[in-house]
Amino acid sequence: MSTEDRDIVVEMTGITKYFPGVLALDKVNLRIKKGEVLALLGENGAGKSTLMRILYGMYRPDEGQIRVNGRIVNIESPRDAMKLGIGMIHQHFTLVPVHSVVENVILGAITDPRGSFSIEKTAKEIKKLGDTYGLEVDPFAMVNQLPVEMQQRVEILKALYRGANVLIMDEPTAVLTPQSTEMLFNFIRDFRKAGNSVIFISHKLNEVLEIADRIVVLRSGRVVGEIPREKATEQELARMMVGHELGEIKLKAENNTSGKKEPILCIENLKVRGNLGHLAVDALNLEIFAGEIHGIAGVSGNGQDELTEALYGLRPVSEGNIFLNGTPLTKGKTRNIIDLGVGYIPADRHKEGLVLDMSVEENLVLKGFDLSPFSRKGILQEGSIRQYATQVIESYAIKTPTPDTPVRYLSGGNQQKVVIAREIAVARFLLIAVQPTRGLDIGSTEYVHQILLKARNEGRGVLLISTELSEILSLSDRISVIYRGRILKTIDRQDVDMDEIGLLMMGVTGRQ
Amino acid sequence: MRSDRHILLTLFPLYSVIVGLFLSGLMMLFLGQNPLVVYRDILLFAFRDIYNIADIFAKAVPLIFTGLAFGFAYRASLFNIGAQGQFYMGCLASVSCSLYFSFLPKVLLLSICLLSSLIIGGLWGSLIGYAKARFNANEFLLSLMSTYVAIAIMNFLIRGPLIEAKGEYPQTDVIAQSAWIPLLIPHTRMHAGLILALLVAAAAYFILWKTALGFKIRAVGMNRDAARFAGIDERKIFVSVFFISGAFAGLAGFTEVNGIQHMLVQGFNPMIGTEGIGIAILGNAHPLGIVLSALLFGALKVGGALAVQVSNISSSFLGIMEGCVMLSVIISYFIRQRIMTVLEKKRLQEESKVKIL
Repeated sequence: MSTEDRDIVVEMTGITKYFPGVLALDKVNLRIKKGEVLALLGENGAGKSTLMRILYGMYRPDEGQIRVNGRIVNIESPRDAMKLGIGMIHQHFTLVPVHSVVENVILGAITDPRGSFSIEKTAKEIKKLGDTYGLEVDPFAMVNQLPVEMQQRVEILKALYRGANVLIMDEPTAVLTPQSTEMLFNFIRDFRKAGNSVIFISHKLNEVLEIADRIVVLRSGRVVGEIPREKATEQELARMMVGHELGEIKLKAENNTSGKKEPILCIENLKVRGNLGHLAVDALNLEIFAGEIHGIAGVSGNGQDELTEALYGLRPVSEGNIFLNGTPLTKGKTRNIIDLGVGYIPADRHKEGLVLDMSVEENLVLKGFDLSPFSRKGILQEGSIRQYATQVIESYAIKTPTPDTPVRYLSGGNQQKVVIAREIAVARFLLIAVQPTRGLDIGSTEYVHQILLKARNEGRGVLLISTELSEILSLSDRISVIYRGRILKTIDRQDVDMDEIGLLMMGVTGRQ
Repeated sequence: MRSDRHILLTLFPLYSVIVGLFLSGLMMLFLGQNPLVVYRDILLFAFRDIYNIADIFAKAVPLIFTGLAFGFAYRASLFNIGAQGQFYMGCLASVSCSLYFSFLPKVLLLSICLLSSLIIGGLWGSLIGYAKARFNANEFLLSLMSTYVAIAIMNFLIRGPLIEAKGEYPQTDVIAQSAWIPLLIPHTRMHAGLILALLVAAAAYFILWKTALGFKIRAVGMNRDAARFAGIDERKIFVSVFFISGAFAGLAGFTEVNGIQHMLVQGFNPMIGTEGIGIAILGNAHPLGIVLSALLFGALKVGGALAVQVSNISSSFLGIMEGCVMLSVIISYFIRQRIMTVLEKKRLQEESKVKIL
């Protein structure tokens, strides 16, 4: 018992963090032992980064306490964290591009109270550290002239120079090539061997299985599982991340693969850059037919967000073509794409789908308020809006006291009905639905599914993106698996083999 | 329950006025004055006679404009704290037109002055909106600094091309009577600019809540992401909001030059922009609220100016009193945000509890 306690470097207990509109972390407990690589696994938005930013002093927790080496500590800033031996390698590097490596390492690390420091001495220490851990880098090179993987080395050296023995790495491989990834892993192993600890944040299962000693899975701000690596399998981890057994799933409706007509949407060789500048969508090809639900299966963070944002004119397209009924969309503005008849149910209805402080009726006309009959000569026609809203509220059975109640006060299911009613009205040809049932209860989920099927039966094309594999399987006529920004395979619903889909989602192809 | 809370929060700025008056009352005690007596005097003086009552309205007019300037942009979640500069640009436009077109008939001349101050103030403001749209510049800093540029332009023009005929002081000549805004009540300072201010407040309300443009402005203000997903081009909104906001502040220049001063003196009314911010917050960024708070501040100014004369408190104390009220109004804004966050947090935690059960 006591020896085990002594082994624990960092212990976080009951950590709760609230952001406007969301509970990002809900009473999370986490222990990190000496000489261990702990992987924090979870989808985007599961709370991994938030938890680590709390440990690194970038956020303050609303509840909970942190112990480092058994003592309760109050980490108010990254400076405090560094003093405790905690270092963090961010996804977005925090280097000064026009400074040299050694200047970047020194920055903020001057411990001499008189503020004196020696560039030469530091440069030597950097070289020494680099030799020890196989992180060679020229101390006098300018950071902006170094390739990405070298910049990451500088970040690591920065943390090591400050005496970090707990290293947090936030998706360090997102920007790396496979070779650089291997070198990074070698470093992590050496670092662990020296008795240090690493917290490795990722949503890539294969990497986690390769490098971690212990794996903790977060979902929606809660710890949902913890397993040692020996006992972990990709399937098991995927199940915990996604929160669903990949068991038998029954079809919600008859398949609709007969009578394939002209494709409504054609995507050819599409390339889209993510926020980190890497190709999040990489030479992707996809066709969606009228009257089909086309499901995209995949672990989140494989380019789904970038794909749908590019389709809707919210993110620039680097290369390739998108055609809707033959009309190119690549340079289209969101407004034009809406007018062409494309609806979009976004993943985050609070952030992207609704203006919470606007009324139900205002949200219902959010994409058409400036068109006739809702506007004439730039003046809102309140009568027409009210009439339309009343009718929609009735036909979709939206539970609201009045049409001018702020949509904030509706339940989640009714809020989503507002979004869906609006998007169905917009989507004359194509409906993009991203996680359309996230956070809904069973009844509302069922309702949303029926609406999607109805949209399909009326001849619209539906692009369904969901990390709930069961949702994809029960609704889709065809399923495409996305991995690292590419469609690995498109399968008709009746030919689906569960194991194959599961492995494709992890990037394993070519199995027969 | 929930709507009760809402009303309490909406009234929050009112409490802060009381707190501000209480704080400045404490200071009066240190100066050996009974604050209750002083406040009674302020009230009595402000409403003593028709001249003073009319003056309340005259003082409120420019404050309505600068309050609307801040409040309108705030509805789009944009911070225009450069109303002072936009006001000066409006002053310059209006005084120039008054001086150069003095031969025109009154109605035409006044219309030109009005339009020029509106357009120049608006263009000056829309530069900020453009920089934000084009370069993602921070509108807060930009609008703040644009005031200093406007002051420099004003200093240059008033010491140069626009300087009075005598060439002695940095001020313009008195403008021709034909450029004066007519008085509403003779022998007072209440001029027809009041009607303009009320019309503009009504227009602000109309634009925000009755037009498609206002719909876009509010949507961008309340959720920029959702607005983007709905195909609203936020960059266009930045430019139009700053044009309208700047135009409001510019109009204050027209009413001050042509309605009160009848000339332009270098650096006059230097607090009008800042006061507008407080007034907009006090008025909940709603045009009606802004008109009422501007009248409240007008009354404090008029009554206070006279009360300090009889109570042997230094007249500079008036500034302290205004400052106390303004500060507590602005602080109250942040306290209110904080309370709303806490309430929202409670609500979310309760909801998530229900879900687990």
